Amino acid sequence: MKRPTDEERLLSADMNRRDFLKRLGYASVVALAAGGAGLALYDSKGPASSQVQKALTGLGDYTLHGKSSGPGKMAIVRGTDRALMCARGVEALGGMESFIQKGDRVLIKVNAAFATPASLGATTHPEVLAAVAGLCVKAGAAQVLVTDNPISDPDSCFEISGLAGAARAAGARIIAPRAALFAPVSLPQGKLIEDWPVMAGVFQGVTKVLVVSPVKDHHRAGASMTLKNYYGFLGGRRNLFHQDINGIITELAQLLKPTLCVLDGTVSMMANGPTGGSLSDLKETGTLVVSTDPVAADAVGVELLGRSLADVPYIVMAGKAGAGQADYRQLNPVRLNTES
Amino acid sequence: MAHRKAKVGAAQKLSGYGIIAVLGLLTIWLLFQQTRFNPAVLVALRHPPLPGRAQQAVSGQALAATAALLPEVPGFTPLAPTESYGPGNLSDKIDGKDELYLPAGFKEMSCRKFSLDTAADKTFVEVFIYDMGSAANAFAVFSGQRRPGSPSIPLTTNAYATGNALFFTQGRYYLEIVADRASQTLPGSLEAYAKAILAKIPSEGGQVNPALLFPKEGLTPDSVRLLAADVFSMEGLNNVLTAEYHLKSGNATAFIARRDAPDQARAEARRYLDFLAANGYRKVQTPPAAGDISVLALDNSFEAVLVQGRIMAGVHDATSVDAALDLAAQLRPALKERP
Repeated sequence: MKRPTDEERLLSADMNRRDFLKRLGYASVVALAAGGAGLALYDSKGPASSQVQKALTGLGDYTLHGKSSGPGKMAIVRGTDRALMCARGVEALGGMESFIQKGDRVLIKVNAAFATPASLGATTHPEVLAAVAGLCVKAGAAQVLVTDNPISDPDSCFEISGLAGAARAAGARIIAPRAALFAPVSLPQGKLIEDWPVMAGVFQGVTKVLVVSPVKDHHRAGASMTLKNYYGFLGGRRNLFHQDINGIITELAQLLKPTLCVLDGTVSMMANGPTGGSLSDLKETGTLVVSTDPVAADAVGVELLGRSLADVPYIVMAGKAGAGQADYRQLNPVRLNTES
Repeated sequence: MAHRKAKVGAAQKLSGYGIIAVLGLLTIWLLFQQTRFNPAVLVALRHPPLPGRAQQAVSGQALAATAALLPEVPGFTPLAPTESYGPGNLSDKIDGKDELYLPAGFKEMSCRKFSLDTAADKTFVEVFIYDMGSAANAFAVFSGQRRPGSPSIPLTTNAYATGNALFFTQGRYYLEIVADRASQTLPGSLEAYAKAILAKIPSEGGQVNPALLFPKEGLTPDSVRLLAADVFSMEGLNNVLTAEYHLKSGNATAFIARRDAPDQARAEARRYLDFLAANGYRKVQTPPAAGDISVLALDNSFEAVLVQGRIMAGVHDATSVDAALDLAAQLRPALKERP
């Protein structure tokens, strides 16, 4: 009688102890060899970068067609219903479809700096985020991401401010800061942003960037609006920059050219910013700005706070640095009133 | 012994080849991706020694003495552990507003979030207790954020309420109890919590009411402030009390700066007058009754400066020379009464 081959033995159901031990031995050898090979090939230092890749020089130009030098567009909408004001403002600039194309991966930068409820006005209002994210989804965005880097516990900030709920409801995803998202950035000819950790990782694969901000008083900067919102991309001990707050915001303005900015001055924090705390710090200013130009948007916002450009120097400085137009009237803004 | 012949069908073979093909494609894709690594990932992996890299976080650790002063009060359900911050990381909690606290002598702060549960709804409440090192420092940050028009309350010497919050000082502590909404029952609940804290704060003697230092005629209620640093934009002019006035002759701000010795007060006054002159102010002729009060003007803004013992005082940004002189004349006897 012919002795069965190993293959026949393996394929048969009557395996004995010797067969089992042999198979176990083979499998162990293969597993050890694979593990050993992996260990031998493991590079604990990671790939070395070239000098050219030492630091990023910006976060990108996300303006339409990458042309940030052309005249911007702006709509100034009066009213009290944030969602309606957003919709009307975006519509006046050609609709969200003119900014977001099908398949776009959209990043929305909000101000989620504090773990305080939306009613205190210290963060981007969730109704505005929901409206903007909803318009992006409707325009065909493949993915809508929402981010900020509050130094205080990010999860609490997003949840208590209502931004996490608004993002979820609109089909957007929160990207909370984590170490792997930060990379050193050096602004060419910059004096402050040199090898500084910036949350550059959130931009990977992103094709459009929207900045959605509240209008607030700021004890150090004079005002916190769109450009000050970029501060949330910084990592490290960024409070060191408070010594030159106008300089750092001007440099940040040069790092990123967003697709669209929404500045919510429906209710503005007139005093005791950026934290506020009392409802009496807030005032109904009934205005929402939709603009492709962040500098121009802030120039409108500063008027809502009852201040001038001289009171908030970084706006003019950012304008001179090429980040936008400090004289927003040059954009011939469309003016709308949702309540008339 | 009978052996069963293995039978491998065409579909099984096809599936096997398909899986091998997919694994092969994945291998090729991985190799391709590795050749074009994202530079952001590269630099992130290198972890260079950046000057701005985050320090070991100490935020959120409730190790501070102030943490022990936050009581648990029935009806207030803690939402999170107590957080504590020091001068090095206060901005982690209050961002740029730390610039108000740090020059005023800030030591540490603890805060805690609560849910105030009532039959109607749940209200978010956050309590902050700042140790400012001295009662004067606590008054500086209290008065620096005074909400105009908000009524004083008898909780402590320096206390007021807004629709959704209480703000007060006790000894060297400045406290805020902030809710996310206003309601009819809220003030009573917040005061109950405030009294529970006050019961835990050690008494440090009588509270000074700086408003008593200023003449009463024309004084705007609750307008007294203690400005900690670089007052009126002059570097080094620190710890100055100010008060707003509406007079028949115009509006003005009175100021009082107490120094350790008369020489220091006189030197500070000279430095301030030099500062004004350097910024374009010109001396204004005053009537003989004004005595040694110096008056300077720039456009329609008038400044008056006088020294009384170890106090430098004066009038800032008066809308007329008469308002400056009237208020300065009121100040001098008030200062004489309180050497």
